[in-house]
Formats: sequence, structure tokens, C-alpha cells
Amino acid sequence: MALPNQQTVDYPSFKLVIVGDGGTGKTTFVKRHLTGEFEKKYEPTIGVEVHPLDFFTNCGKIRFYCWDTAGQEKFGGLRDGYYIHGQCAIIMFDVTARLTYKNVPTWHRDLCRVCENIPIVLCGNKVDVKNRQVKAKQVTFHRKKNLQYYEISAKSNYNFEKPFLYLARKLAGDQTIHFVESPALAPPEVTIDMAAQQQHEQELEQAINQPLPDDDDDAFD
Amino acid sequence: MALADPEIPEIAAGEEEDTGAQIAPIIRLEAVAVTTGEEEEYALLDLKAKLYRFDKEGNQWKERGAGTVKLLKHKVSGKVRLVMRQSKTLKICANHLVLPSISIQEHAGNEKSCVWHATDFSDGELKEELFCIRFASIENCKKFKEMVELVAKPQENKAEKSNEDTTAADLIEKLTVNEPEEDAASKKEDVPAASEEKVEEKEKAVPAASEEKEVEKKEEEAKQESK
Repeated sequence: MALPNQQTVDYPSFKLVIVGDGGTGKTTFVKRHLTGEFEKKYEPTIGVEVHPLDFFTNCGKIRFYCWDTAGQEKFGGLRDGYYIHGQCAIIMFDVTARLTYKNVPTWHRDLCRVCENIPIVLCGNKVDVKNRQVKAKQVTFHRKKNLQYYEISAKSNYNFEKPFLYLARKLAGDQTIHFVESPALAPPEVTIDMAAQQQHEQELEQAINQPLPDDDDDAFD
Repeated sequence: MALADPEIPEIAAGEEEDTGAQIAPIIRLEAVAVTTGEEEEYALLDLKAKLYRFDKEGNQWKERGAGTVKLLKHKVSGKVRLVMRQSKTLKICANHLVLPSISIQEHAGNEKSCVWHATDFSDGELKEELFCIRFASIENCKKFKEMVELVAKPQENKAEKSNEDTTAADLIEKLTVNEPEEDAASKKEDVPAASEEKVEEKEKAVPAASEEKEVEKKEEEAKQESK
């Protein structure tokens, strides 16, 4: 479901509602998928931010319009007004903050009042953190409500693709759907003039001295 | 990126567990032919890495993706490009030609990383980007940097690759042609000062493999590896 000012696309698209307490990592998770970056700084979302997110599957390209809603009550805006016509959802909590898990039933109830019988994924975020307050075994809410549960880390990318994969499979009723390589189009030839070249080299000199954001971890997926 | 929680493996084992939510599908999707866009190319290099782009406004590096970086050579045109895909989602995070003008340098504070400028085509439109790539090891970074330099300057770069890269060393061992005197002399002249020593050491062992030959050799290896 696109916003009026948003481009519609000629491939399947779905409205995905993302809810959960403030600071659980909804915006960071979406941003991670959008640009690859990991935003450490916390800036509460006001109302809602809608971002289109495309994935390539063996059944073609699909798009999720991610409705990244405010978790903090005071910035809630239209609240469940954002849920209308939601076709799938993610409920996010923070495994390092027990209260965010305790609030999951409330988010679920509000969501289900507006969106009946849509596929929902429960995500326990920040599993990269050593001191968890909510252990995997303590997460039981999804069993009662037939939700899918994933432990994720927006920081390490652990399971970060799983919620989208699950939702795509449920929306299409096809368990075989999987992500495939998006076509890498041939980049057109470019000519770079001397002036531009020099500018790039200057910029490079500056960039080369700036530290990398996550210099400390050396493992790769 | 190590996961701190000991319970992770347990969950990982059961993560495909579907709680069996009975939800009516709302769309029917048909399987389609999948094209990677890489069909007419082969990989000169294929390594795990993490990519960053420079945010000029904020004067900082930002993560762009973690996955596999490839140098792909077109079978017909011979053009080489760099393609990097995010792991799991397989989305493209870098896609640009490796041009002779490319200048690739080690990152000042991280010897597993190097930095360059590119006109990137990841999103299907050309964008100027400063990229930094970080590898799991110094060796892989070296391997990458040398290969980029090699494909960028096959004509002018008459000097044998001088670094102690294992791949290069292997290649040198395999080559058996004898090196003519004048060739060796001309090589010395073109060698950058910093690496002169190493080149001199190797020169005795290094046969008359022209630069081109080395590229071919490496490509052959790459082909075999990718098979």
C-alpha cells in the first residue's frame, strides 16, 4: 500500500507494519536493509516513516512498503491509524530490555484489532549483546498466537533477512520462495576529466584517515 | 560479529520451526527465470568482505554491506568490473568498472582495508562514491588490491608484482620461461621505489613472464577456482 506521493511499481508490493516499544531497533533494522549502514544513535521516530524495500526472489521482484512506526507513546501520532490495510507485520522487542517483551501482547492486540489474520513475525533484536534480559527459552508468546519468532541482530545482521523471507512465503503461500541474485547491470562507460580526478584524489586523502565505524569486529558472514 | 549468547545455536537449530500460522495467501507468484547479470563474465577474484561508503557531509565512513566482492571479467569485451553483493539478500552494494584511472590505497588506520573512488552503478544510476573495503585478513586485502591494480594497468605496469602475495609467489614458481636480460633491466626502472627491494629479490626467480602473461595466469586460476 503506497502513500499517495509514492511511486507505484509494476511488481507485487505489500504494506508491512513494524511496531514495538521505542528503542527496540525498528528504524535501525529498516535502515540497515535500505542502505547497509548501522545507526548507533537513537533518534525516536515521530509518527511513522514509510520506506520501500525491494527484494529479488525466484518468483521475481517484490516490494515491502515498511511502515516504521513510533514506539514511544508521546510520538505515536495516528497510532493504529497506521495499521489500516496492513498486509503483514513485524513486532519488535529488545532482548536486553525485559519490559519491551512484556509489552509485546499489547502491540499484538492493537495490531490484530485492525489487521485480521495477517502474517506476523515477532523479532527479538540485539541478540549480539552479552547481557540479555530475555533468554530465548523465555520467549513463548509467539506459540500461543501462531506468530513466527526470530532472534535477530541489526548490528551483526544475524537472521536479518529471515523476517522478510518468512512474510514473502506466507503472503504467497509458497514455502519454496527464496532470495536470488539481483541482476548486476553492466555499468555504462564513464570518462573522468582531470579536474574531477584531482578532486576525487583529494577527497580520498581525507577519507583515508577517517576510522571505520566497526573496526573491532573481524568476522564476516 | 560473534554472537555472545550461548543459546543461539539452540535457537538456530529450531529456527525453521514454523508455528503453523494458518494464513490465507493474498497473492500467487510464479517462478521466473533468474538472471544474475554476470552470465557473460568470469571471476578473477571472489572474497568475503565488508564495504563502506564515505559520507562526505558527516565526514565519516558508513557501512554499505557485508558479503562477497568479485572482480568480473567479460568473456568478450575483456572489461573488468567490481561487483559486491550483500550476503543472504544477495542485493548489490557495489557495481562499477575497474578503470585505468582507479587509484586504490590502503586505509591509514586499518591494514586490512583499502580505499578508492568509483562511479558506482549499484542502483541503476551512476553515482560518485568513495568506497572502503575491509577483509578478514591482510593477505586477502593485498590480494584484492594487487588484482585491482593489475587489471587497471595491464599495459603500463611492466613491473612484476613485487609483494609477497602467495598467489603471485605461486605463479612465479609455475612459470618456467627464461627472462631476457633487457627485459629485466627495463623492469627495474619502472618499479616504484618502495617495492624495489622485493622486486630485486624476486627477479632471479621471476622468469620472462610479461605482465600480460601474469594476468592470464591469474585469470586461469580464477577460472579454475570458480569451477
